[in-house]
Amino acid sequence: MVAPSKPITQDLTERFPGAVSKDTRPGYEGYIVSANKLTEVATAIRDEYGYEYLASVTGVDYIADGKLEVVYHASKMSGGASLNFKVQAPRDGEPEIPSLVGVWQGADFQEREVYDLYGLRFSGHPDLRRILMWEEFEGWPMRKDWKEVYYEQDAKPFKTRWPEGSVYRIEEKNRFNKNVRYPKGFDPRSFKSDGDEKLYALMRGEHLPEHQRINTDEIIVNMGPQHPSTHGVFRVVVKLDGESVVDLKPVMGYLHRNHEKIGERNTWLMNMPYTDRLDYLSGMGNNHGYALAVEKLIGSKVPERAEYLRVLMVELNRIANHLWAIGFLINDLGAFQTPMLYLAKQRELILDIFEATAGSRMMCNYMRFGGVVRDLPSRIRDEDTLDFITDLVAERLPAALDEIETLLTFNEIIRTRSIGVGVLPAKQAINGSAAGPLLRASGVPYDLRRADPYSIYDRLDFKVCTRPNGDVYDRYLVRIDEMRESIKILKQVLRDMPASGAIMDGESKYTHKVPNGESYGRVENPKGELGYYVVSNGAPNPYRYHVRAPSFINLTMLGDLCKGHKVADIVVILGSIDIVLGEVDR
Amino acid sequence: MTVQVALFIALAAVAIVAAIGLLRAKNAVYAALCLVSNFGVVAVLYILLGAPFLAMVQITVYAGAIMVLFVFVIMLLGAEHLEHEDHLLLQGPLGWLLGLGLAGLVTFAAISANLSAPAELPAEVSANFGSPGSIGHLLLTEYVFPFEVISFLLLAAMVGAVVLTLVQREKKARRSLRNPQQS
Amino acid sequence: MNEVTVIIIDAAIKAAVMALVLLTGFAYMTYAERKVIAGIQVRRGPNRIGPLGLLQPAADGVKLFLKEDMMPTGADKLMFNLAPIITSIPALVIMAVIPVAPDWIVNGYTVRFVVADLNVGVLYLLAIGSIAVYGIVLAGWASDSKYSMMGGLRSTAQVISYELAFGLSMVGPMLLAQSMSLRDIVHAQEARGIWFMFLQPIGFLLFFITGLAELNRAPFDMPEAEQELTAGYFTEYSSMRFGMFFMAEYIKMIAVSGMVVTLYMGGYLGPFVNQFPPLGIAYFSAKVFFLLFTMIWIRGTLPRLRYDQLMSFGWKFALPVAMLNVLATAIVLVYVM
Repeated sequence: MVAPSKPITQDLTERFPGAVSKDTRPGYEGYIVSANKLTEVATAIRDEYGYEYLASVTGVDYIADGKLEVVYHASKMSGGASLNFKVQAPRDGEPEIPSLVGVWQGADFQEREVYDLYGLRFSGHPDLRRILMWEEFEGWPMRKDWKEVYYEQDAKPFKTRWPEGSVYRIEEKNRFNKNVRYPKGFDPRSFKSDGDEKLYALMRGEHLPEHQRINTDEIIVNMGPQHPSTHGVFRVVVKLDGESVVDLKPVMGYLHRNHEKIGERNTWLMNMPYTDRLDYLSGMGNNHGYALAVEKLIGSKVPERAEYLRVLMVELNRIANHLWAIGFLINDLGAFQTPMLYLAKQRELILDIFEATAGSRMMCNYMRFGGVVRDLPSRIRDEDTLDFITDLVAERLPAALDEIETLLTFNEIIRTRSIGVGVLPAKQAINGSAAGPLLRASGVPYDLRRADPYSIYDRLDFKVCTRPNGDVYDRYLVRIDEMRESIKILKQVLRDMPASGAIMDGESKYTHKVPNGESYGRVENPKGELGYYVVSNGAPNPYRYHVRAPSFINLTMLGDLCKGHKVADIVVILGSIDIVLGEVDR
Repeated sequence: MTVQVALFIALAAVAIVAAIGLLRAKNAVYAALCLVSNFGVVAVLYILLGAPFLAMVQITVYAGAIMVLFVFVIMLLGAEHLEHEDHLLLQGPLGWLLGLGLAGLVTFAAISANLSAPAELPAEVSANFGSPGSIGHLLLTEYVFPFEVISFLLLAAMVGAVVLTLVQREKKARRSLRNPQQS
Repeated sequence: MNEVTVIIIDAAIKAAVMALVLLTGFAYMTYAERKVIAGIQVRRGPNRIGPLGLLQPAADGVKLFLKEDMMPTGADKLMFNLAPIITSIPALVIMAVIPVAPDWIVNGYTVRFVVADLNVGVLYLLAIGSIAVYGIVLAGWASDSKYSMMGGLRSTAQVISYELAFGLSMVGPMLLAQSMSLRDIVHAQEARGIWFMFLQPIGFLLFFITGLAELNRAPFDMPEAEQELTAGYFTEYSSMRFGMFFMAEYIKMIAVSGMVVTLYMGGYLGPFVNQFPPLGIAYFSAKVFFLLFTMIWIRGTLPRLRYDQLMSFGWKFALPVAMLNVLATAIVLVYVM
């Protein structure tokens, strides 16, 4: 990490008089930067103020003010709260602001997402195409005036279903009549997509450096969206020279359901189960992040036992996720599923705990604003709950980890396949907004549980695991280390957890009165920094609900990681990043 | 005897068809496969002649190694569709003319030489005729000089191939195992 | 009946029996593989159809027959159809020269438990093994699909790279037996009273490893690497054409195991085999089963090498070691013994 040459204490507004002003709207914080000075201010924020890490970029459509706003959150690698700055542009016409890809590589995909969903152009962006929607899509779906097919109403509960309760599907009454609007001159029968052609044209220009070239037919191969090892409906377009990767571009959005638009239509609490479906392998963490973001606005105080229960569940979830990630990584290395099934065996026990407690193995929907929804059951699998968890944490999981280590860590083939493959240097990892194990395997000790402690993590004793080399092998090792640290945390939680007590702040309710304002809640999910940016305008549903998805942003560097490696390494590198498509595509 | 003659004629016909197919095929992969079948048929002819060792070597070396390499290169370079340009003036007609001329000459020579089986040959070949042992023995005694010369030639060709590919890569910086990005 | 007719009938019966055994063997190899791997992976494996799931292969066969047979639009029709056949025939005929029991004299008639006893049997194995790759290459080329193409290219390069070491590791037993006939090699092991795998441990290991590579079995299953190329050269195949590739792969496993057993593990040798020759079949099968189990075991436990690592293993390790082994064996045979 590069420390700033001289720490600046001068406020941003004094450093850039006229260009930067404080955000004075009630409930808001941070700065508003004028668009023409954005690059300069951002560079200063990165280099002079030491906010090297761009955590999140997102847009908000303030339709009443006629403005589109882009919200940036930047963090210091040494920890502390994130810095929030915004840029505003008029909604009408063709709004455009400067791109920050030159300052932070991590802005790449996030700016494309803002462009895709809000129609706000970023001048100077190297590859400004749609990312979640397809190239020919007409309209900007996250804008407040965009209405989708079968549109009923801006917010739930819909009048047709409640309170009258006449349950029918809107499409039965409204078959494509008024809601499907084709652009002018569009004829679906004669339409032929050329979106892919644009992408291929981009790739044709790339070549390997002279000494690596073998001058065979260069072919462009589509891996996915139906492919056994892209971890879902993910597609990478690869240009190959023989077996070497010349260029690689990820294509996503096959699982896009406009989670954020759905979220803005739901009431605050209704979003909770939807968050489970983001990274469906770590539902507890997703719940936690969302609960934190909204609790900041509501100002609720989580009772002691609930905090411990949250950490218990989240850390168990971290282990479950890492077990799965390692299993699939080894699977991507070509092992015939044996390690994966060994690890799945342990994961099942963790899911048993979730099922007994929350009622579901993966879609837990466990947390509420101000607490958790249920206390631990008295028995799990015909055993006393605490005995079961203690046995799992103290005996079974450490034994399973030792077994993995003996079987896999020093396996010759695994080492030759993963050491030195997909190296991500620390500098690029920070600049590219890598998060979680991907960042820490590059030697950057950044873990939100330490950097910006939430919940009760400041009381717990654990280590931020890092590895120096940033290759696939190190990412694997970091995950193992993190599981061991999680076990350590779990032991402390089991020791210190109050035996009884309230698990909710006040009574549980269906609707919450959320005061005006914005809030950014973030947690260290197994896959990295999971952030929720929410804006409330006092209504029963969020005005803006954005998810900073670690899987999605970690993919920014996939192309760079794979270049020059072999085809077989693509799946391994992808596996080592550990993505879940539910979160990538949202 | 008649069975063998019939077999010979059938195999020879297949060999000729395969050879013509090799020349006339518009697709390089088909041409290569015609050549492979030609090799296969010739190998069977060797077996008929009582030389199974040669037959197996023919298949292993020509069909199994050399032609596989050919097919590999054809596919790797995407060169399966041949260009149909005549590079020389009157290449097509000239080729036909010369080919037919050669065929005529060989036929004429065969007929005019009035071939017949040498009388002094024994009716049956010895048991170890064409066996690996006897071939090896001949190669290392009577034909040791040509054998070594050919080995040397092949070695020179191999060294040449290695040198040719090395020159191109001389400038290549050594990539460290840990950091392949910094080449 | 004249002599030629007897020979023809004899060969026809033996060939038919061998084909039948191999086809059944293939069906139950798939079952065995699934069961063994299930055991390795803490699962149960097929257990629904028939007792212990024993009728599963039949169900799979019916399913394959009933599947829709598809061909990509841009495929080369002739080659697309021919490729599975070219792949399966070498697999079926390769076992022809392997003796599975000593000669048995019944009523003055000698029963030879080998379809064709060639005096260059070892070379026959090599020749047939080397042309089997054409089916794979053609399948990859004819499918007009990039995955298939890459699978085909990979397997070509792999077979070329490993054939040398594969062939050279057959030389050890040949030198020790001073013959290229597989029967002589088995006899030589009998005469010396020791299996060649103990006299030639390096040759044995190399032969088995390069055999795996020739078979495209894990950890060398590059041409069909599921994680990278979906199914490699037969990505575009379905129905019975797919079934033929599948069949060829498993029969080749049996064939390579048979080769290893004959060259290095004493073939059909075992106690009392000369008193009652059909016992040899049992010994031979038992040894083959052991090797097949080992192959499944390897598949169940090892990850895959990367393509370039596989190549450098073949050229930089397997080939030199095989050459040195031949050299050392020759020197010992000529100057020491």
